[in-house]
Amino acid sequence: MFAFAYHRPRSLADAVGLLGAHEEAKPLAGGQTLIATLKQRLAAPGDLVDLAAVPELRAIALEDGRLVVGAMARHADVAASPLVRASLPALAALAGLIGDPAVRNRGTLGGSLANNDPSADYPAACLALAATIVTNRREIAAADFFTGLFETVLEPDEIVVRVMFPLGGEGAYAKFPNPASRYAMAGVFVWRGAGGSGEELVRVAVTGAGQGGVFRWAEAEAALAADFSAAALEPLGLPAEDMIEDIHGSGAYRAHLAGVMARRAVTRMAGAG
Amino acid sequence: MELTGAQRIEAPREAVWQALNDPDILRQCIPGCQELLQSSPTSFTARVVLKIGPVKATFSGAVTLSDLDPPHRYRIAGEGQGGVAGFARGGADVRLEPGEDGATLLTYGAQAQVGGKIAQLGARLIDSTSRKLAGEFFAAFARAVAPDARESLANASPSAADEAAP
Repeated sequence: MFAFAYHRPRSLADAVGLLGAHEEAKPLAGGQTLIATLKQRLAAPGDLVDLAAVPELRAIALEDGRLVVGAMARHADVAASPLVRASLPALAALAGLIGDPAVRNRGTLGGSLANNDPSADYPAACLALAATIVTNRREIAAADFFTGLFETVLEPDEIVVRVMFPLGGEGAYAKFPNPASRYAMAGVFVWRGAGGSGEELVRVAVTGAGQGGVFRWAEAEAALAADFSAAALEPLGLPAEDMIEDIHGSGAYRAHLAGVMARRAVTRMAGAG
Repeated sequence: MELTGAQRIEAPREAVWQALNDPDILRQCIPGCQELLQSSPTSFTARVVLKIGPVKATFSGAVTLSDLDPPHRYRIAGEGQGGVAGFARGGADVRLEPGEDGATLLTYGAQAQVGGKIAQLGARLIDSTSRKLAGEFFAAFARAVAPDARESLANASPSAADEAAP
């Protein structure tokens, strides 16, 4: 490793202050991406601001009909939480599918969202469930939060504090993991429930596949709104040229996989209902 | 990898050509470019900070222009060393054609190559990243040349666009 200053603030205000005071500072959550990057020396921030000792970031609670998960809640915490399992079982199941046990015991919800890796799982849940991301300075709708490959609307000294997931409706997440890294080759979160004025709504969010990161699949949503069945998705296809292409799979492969995952998620929900 | 794209620019072809040869404009448009110094009419030295997710690496290198056929086409190529991170090399063949209403249609075919540690770690992301950077460059370029023509940017169409939804 190289030399850097390590800070361990005990309040959110101190953490924000440290990020603002040091130009090259990076917040450290679970470190499952950042630490690996530092070890490879692909980044060399002058200061690391560890959020582990900030008390208000870890809680999981129900508030005003919403599930509120602290940004520093680890994937293992979310997967095992009786509260999450009872109120949003699809979210608990998704958390249990992230990476391997080592990643799940260190990696956090806030870290995953702020990094916005195009193959991360949580961004799909946030988009499909229309979550609200709360930072130290504002509330951001998930639809406005993710802006592209590894990009979000977060400012350099802005910290994700918690994420609010509306309850109601039902959802399922189907993922085809890369067999080595467990990153999503394609992951699809499908949600069905009532919209603001009681009308039925379907949201389909795809991760792991799109060049620009997570996205809503509008065509699939329209097809499912008309006929909520795996068969309704059969004729649809995502454009291969917009999908990630790499040593693990072509764009066409990922486009196909996203269709298969969407049908699996719908089948699971239809079976449960 | 290869990627292609097209960008409509709301300016006459001569003006677009001038801009393609203007180090100030190039510096503003190359994503992460901190320094671009002209060392001859067709060569520059450059320092570029590549920032993708957690990775932040500074590349120092050279940018050269070749196959110049004013105001129709040229090739712009760059290569840089990023120290322990590895190296990056890339180029684009750029063509200008007169479009409708006095605008210019810019088309490009670009190649990118990275090696070293950054390539091993980022293998699953290099294509997406290259497309994103190329799209950013040409979008910024269109903006720099024709700052008042915001509507046409909505039609910017690198085949790789960074729109969230296909």
